[in-house]
Amino acid sequence: MSAMVGVLKLVIADDNVGVSTGLVIGYYLFIYFQPSDVKDPVIRPLVEHDSQSLQRLLPEIPLWVKNPDYDRIDWLNKFLELMWPYLDKAICKTAKNIAKPIIAEQIPKYKIESVEFEELTLGSLPPTFQGMKVFVTEEKELIMEPSLKWAGNPNVTLGVKAFGLKATVQAVDLQIFAQPRITLKPLVPSFPCFAKIFVSLMEKPHVDFGLKLFGADLMSIPGLYMFVQELIKDQVANMYLWPKTLEVEILDPTKAMMRPVGIVHVKVLRAMKLRKKDLLGGSDPYVKLKITESKAPSKKTTVKHKNLNPEWNEEFSIVVKDPESQALEFIVYDWEQVGKHDKMGMNVVPLKELTPNEPKVMTLDLLKNLNQNDAQDDKFRGQLVVELTYKPFKEGDTSKDLDNPLQKAPEGTPPSGGVLVVIVHEAQDVEGKHHTNPYVRIIFNGEERKTKHVKKNRDPRWDEEFTFVLEEPPLKEKLHVEVLSTSTRIGLLHPKETLGYVNISLADVVNNKRINEKYHLIDSKNGKIQIELQWRTSS
Amino acid sequence: MGLISGMLMGIVFGIALMAGWKHMMRYRSNKRIAKAVDIKSLSSLNRDDLKKICGENFPEWISFPVFEQVKWLNKQLSKLWPFVADAAEAIIKESVEPLLEEYRTPGITSIKFSKLSLGTVAPKIEGIRVQSLKKGQITMDIDLRWGGNPNIILAIEAALVASIPIQLKDLKVFTVVRAIFQLAEEIPCISAVVVALLAEPKPRIDYTLKAIGGSLTAIPGLSDMIDDTVNSIITDMLQWPHRIVVPIGGMPVDTSELELKPQGKLTVAVVRANNLKNKELIGKSDPYVVVYIRPLFKVKTKVIENNLNPVWNQTFELIVEDKETQSLILEVFDQDVGQDERLGVAKLPMIELEAEISKEIELRLLPSLDMLKIKDKKDRGTLTIQVLYHEFNKEEQLAALEEEKRILEERKKLKEAGVIGSTMDALDGAASLVGSGVGLVGSGLGAGAGIVGSGLGAFGSGLSKAGKFMGRTITGQSNASKRSGSSTPVNSVQENGGAKPL
Repeated sequence: MSAMVGVLKLVIADDNVGVSTGLVIGYYLFIYFQPSDVKDPVIRPLVEHDSQSLQRLLPEIPLWVKNPDYDRIDWLNKFLELMWPYLDKAICKTAKNIAKPIIAEQIPKYKIESVEFEELTLGSLPPTFQGMKVFVTEEKELIMEPSLKWAGNPNVTLGVKAFGLKATVQAVDLQIFAQPRITLKPLVPSFPCFAKIFVSLMEKPHVDFGLKLFGADLMSIPGLYMFVQELIKDQVANMYLWPKTLEVEILDPTKAMMRPVGIVHVKVLRAMKLRKKDLLGGSDPYVKLKITESKAPSKKTTVKHKNLNPEWNEEFSIVVKDPESQALEFIVYDWEQVGKHDKMGMNVVPLKELTPNEPKVMTLDLLKNLNQNDAQDDKFRGQLVVELTYKPFKEGDTSKDLDNPLQKAPEGTPPSGGVLVVIVHEAQDVEGKHHTNPYVRIIFNGEERKTKHVKKNRDPRWDEEFTFVLEEPPLKEKLHVEVLSTSTRIGLLHPKETLGYVNISLADVVNNKRINEKYHLIDSKNGKIQIELQWRTSS
Repeated sequence: MGLISGMLMGIVFGIALMAGWKHMMRYRSNKRIAKAVDIKSLSSLNRDDLKKICGENFPEWISFPVFEQVKWLNKQLSKLWPFVADAAEAIIKESVEPLLEEYRTPGITSIKFSKLSLGTVAPKIEGIRVQSLKKGQITMDIDLRWGGNPNIILAIEAALVASIPIQLKDLKVFTVVRAIFQLAEEIPCISAVVVALLAEPKPRIDYTLKAIGGSLTAIPGLSDMIDDTVNSIITDMLQWPHRIVVPIGGMPVDTSELELKPQGKLTVAVVRANNLKNKELIGKSDPYVVVYIRPLFKVKTKVIENNLNPVWNQTFELIVEDKETQSLILEVFDQDVGQDERLGVAKLPMIELEAEISKEIELRLLPSLDMLKIKDKKDRGTLTIQVLYHEFNKEEQLAALEEEKRILEERKKLKEAGVIGSTMDALDGAASLVGSGVGLVGSGLGAGAGIVGSGLGAFGSGLSKAGKFMGRTITGQSNASKRSGSSTPVNSVQENGGAKPL
């Protein structure tokens, strides 16, 4: 108490006993006996408001009322309102638990005996969203901007004991208005479908609160409130004002993206004592190998005719995305001139059995299938000998290009030139007169490349990448992109159709290094195509 | 003097300062609270409120449907869809395949996905509604529409037929998904989520089936069988009151309150039918009735040959899980060589019944329950039943729950046996099931008959034998169940629509 009076003395800068006495009396008279508990405000339905109080409401009208590009999300407000009592308790409990050890660690330094929460509640008023706006870009990201307003009635009362005296600090009426931008990126094909959350504030947030020391609200001292508010705003702005962001990682992006992390070299050496399948003569074995959890086509060895102990000595390289879970699958087939090829046996090798960069020769017993319980499985079907080497990529190779979609050109690129990368993402509203089985043909400097066909689809998606190595930057050249459709039926009538084309001049790409745009197709009604262009140089 | 007056002046000044401060405090506090109140009241506006605020300048682009529109969510969803589709494919395959296995009709021996891709068209959320129907729970209804272009190929093995790839085309799903969030006082504040499809409006799932490299007609009844399987899964697993309960947050929570539990027991006596339609060319129909509340627990009366006004007088007991929304379904079939034909169907909503009061009801038979599809308004006769609803107390409820689990187990075993074993084995199995006095006997026959499918020669005689056998046991059975007083949910492999390859 004396400390406070001392402070007040300083403020007034007068040593007058009278003023001090007056302040003490005034304090007891007006402030000390004021109730310090926070009451729930009474909320009247809007219909009962008179025009004067309505006038007061006007500046607070939600954004979704004012702007058509904001969506109303009152359902979320309702959800939050119903959940709020539970959230309040959960958050306060967690906050207390987190604060306790920190307080226990800090207080000995300041010779404070104890600090504890006398009251901690977030109040009855939940945060509200006054509209939601989303932005659509061509990049792999989701951007949304909710307008968040929390004018709550929380009550946070701290009891501080020091030098045998007890003081209470109370924070009330916290109000935070902010417009955060939430960006989810990169998008990945495993739940929850994004790897990171970035949060930043588009404007300085509005913060207001009451801070009571011994029941007296310091924030109502003229001038002090402004000062504190500016201080907080600047602090927060320093940390999170756009383009500064708060980054929260949800998934490990390398894992989630299923980017290649290494290559396994497979050498199929030979098989021994295969069991005969053909009635006449020996079998004609070949090996099909494939990696699990991958859409890559399987690879085949050559066929060794009439041989039950074939020697192949053939080598293959297969891209590995997750050595922990993926496995190599070997299936020996009997080749037939006509009809279905018989399976002679199979086995799998989980990649985690391999030591990186160390060749391992394995002799695999061939099984009928992978079902262990199958009673018919005990027959001897021969053995397969393979040599496996797993070579992981060097650390940093993979993570670097994630943050920056722009890669450097590989070695061996001419110094003045570079690599032009064309990524054909997708098209919209392409429509043929007779058939719509679109594929894209790109022509650059007379070189022609094609994407796969997508059957019967007006909004096809290819996501295919093409590269052209150039001696010089393509400052004057143009890229011809054409969407075509071929008939699925064999016939002379309408075998091929053009669904639209566009010529893109490449000078912009050289200057910008990367352009990801949607182009309107010429000779098409509403067709659009999304093309990403990159210019990679060695420097 | 100077000192005292100075003191007094000082005191007055001090008090005035404090009074000023207090006034300031009150002013600012009031201002903040007023703002908090304003923002709160603006967080859930309705049309009248907005009219009052905006007056003449009411923005025309704003409307207030019951289901709030979520354009922004749809925009995000369509962008996210390729990734969601990729991620969901594996999960769907893993979770749906066992379901298909459990609910497949006996005519199909195996059903699996050989290809599953969800296509490029994202589902659309038409609207979202949030309500609080019960304390501690938030109910969220999502109006979902999906007219996608998925590529789904099912590998189906039917009895005596090799695997056929069947493509599911033009899939359309229109439904309202209800998610109930059970709130808790620990982060993340939700202890469990209950997901179900609302029964009203009825979920619509449309698709066309196409056999790859062949025609569906090669196997008669196959498309019906698939329809049946899909239908049973939806109505018996997903459609309210059935639900899926997902615990959230890693902590063990008691979700038993949320699960669907046996609520009571319905004793149905199928008395007789009048003026049934004749579907046979020679003679008259051979009618029997299939009775169920959940399609997983179907029971069946004996067949009365050559009669359009049959009298069965058979009694069954069925479990009721949600009296508010469930209905008793009675289907009258004509037993026939090949596929049995449906003569009519009747529905009795459970909510119309009063507990512990026995009641005789005459129901009109309809060609289909889907009122939109009914074209002919011809009279199909009536079905007379006697019903008694008994509400369980706690102990009975527990016993019924145990019983239900056990029967599902046993049914599973029976199915496995049916797949591997021969006809007679299966019949024996069915008979022993009856003998053990588990379910009402109609079920035993149903299972037996369903599995018999493969051995046609013995089929007819086997069935009639079983029928006679059943006729005998029925009485004993109902006595037994009366004595024990315990509920006996009844089990049956669905045999309607089961094709018997010829």
